Amino acid sequence: MSHSTEIDSKQAWDGGQSPFRVSYGKMMMWFFLISDALTFGGLLTSYGFIRHKYADVWPKAENVFTHFPFVEQHLPLAYVGLMTFILIMSSVTMVLAVEAGHRNDKKKVIVWMFWTIVGGATFVGSQAWEWYHFIVGTETGALRHVWSQELHTYVEETVYGANMTVNEYGVPQFANYFFFITGFHGFHVFSGVMINLIIFLNVLKGTYEKRGHYEMIEKVGLYWHFVDLVWVFVFTFFYLL
Amino acid sequence: MSEFHDDYPSYEHMAHHSEEEGKKTRKTLWRVFWYMLAITIFELVIGSMAPAQGWSGTLGLKVLFIGLTILKAGFIVMAFMHLGHEVKFFKYVVLAPYLIFMSYTIFIVLDEGIYSGDPENRTKVDPILIKQQEDLRAGHGAHHAGGEATPAHGTEHATEEAHH
Repeated sequence: MSHSTEIDSKQAWDGGQSPFRVSYGKMMMWFFLISDALTFGGLLTSYGFIRHKYADVWPKAENVFTHFPFVEQHLPLAYVGLMTFILIMSSVTMVLAVEAGHRNDKKKVIVWMFWTIVGGATFVGSQAWEWYHFIVGTETGALRHVWSQELHTYVEETVYGANMTVNEYGVPQFANYFFFITGFHGFHVFSGVMINLIIFLNVLKGTYEKRGHYEMIEKVGLYWHFVDLVWVFVFTFFYLL
Repeated sequence: MSEFHDDYPSYEHMAHHSEEEGKKTRKTLWRVFWYMLAITIFELVIGSMAPAQGWSGTLGLKVLFIGLTILKAGFIVMAFMHLGHEVKFFKYVVLAPYLIFMSYTIFIVLDEGIYSGDPENRTKVDPILIKQQEDLRAGHGAHHAGGEATPAHGTEHATEEAHH
């Protein structure tokens, strides 16, 4: 690198320079990500709490997510594995765009940003597909006690799929947490795709070429990697454990 | 140009690197990608083998999965997010608050979880949720693919409960 990241610790806090050797924008992106990571951390710990409380009646993910597009067979966890692969892949293309930005290579930045956006959009689409199958449920359904508004009592009913009050596959809390956490994460991915798109258009327009550096790619890259980071945890806690 | 100008270094410009360094960086990034892919495939294979092998829910499996997840998280943060190459001060500023808050949260949840995991301490918050959990515990709400008749304690039982 053309600069040294080494810093004399005696002079670091004397002023006139950033003791962290990062720009304001990048540092603030990191601080935002810490707060966002705490939100997700809180959500996932509370999920763990409820899950342990109802461990005996908690549905197993491999019995819930068994569908794969265009395939009739039951393939447990295959689709979510593919989704994870897509998101990790888009994280790699993002970091390659950042690297190309460091060399002021506009063409390569455009190529890698493009694939990142494609990967992100594919992931959001896959999540929508998975939600659809979770909400619709199986053909046989399952018997559950459901509160009847007319009779003011519980009646036994065949329930198909999951919503906020009933869940064909197990306790309703599973559906509640699934919708909330994957929904919150999915919204982050959606925002990430939108932000990436805006930055992509700026790259095409030559905004960063004029500016002389592609640091903006690095900042949105941080956000995008964070989205991938959260998914790694969601994947483990919802699908694997 | 105004007569006031600061001579603060511009950190935005520091990140430039040469073609050669770029090649080296790309090699590292792809290597990290292959590691992460290998870990994910390994997790999926173990995950799909677990029910047949009777590993589901065992402590060893949980520790393995959480350990591998933290390893993957480390790869993302240190290599992709480039935190491994930042100044030491900055690394601590980012990681320390997060780790302190999260260990506290996890401690509280474990502590309270041990208390509320005890059946005697289960609070009856929402009757419908309790009802559905009872169904599931009794194996009552299982998929009735065979269409076997459910025992009589269906509607009557529920009505009786509602009277209390």
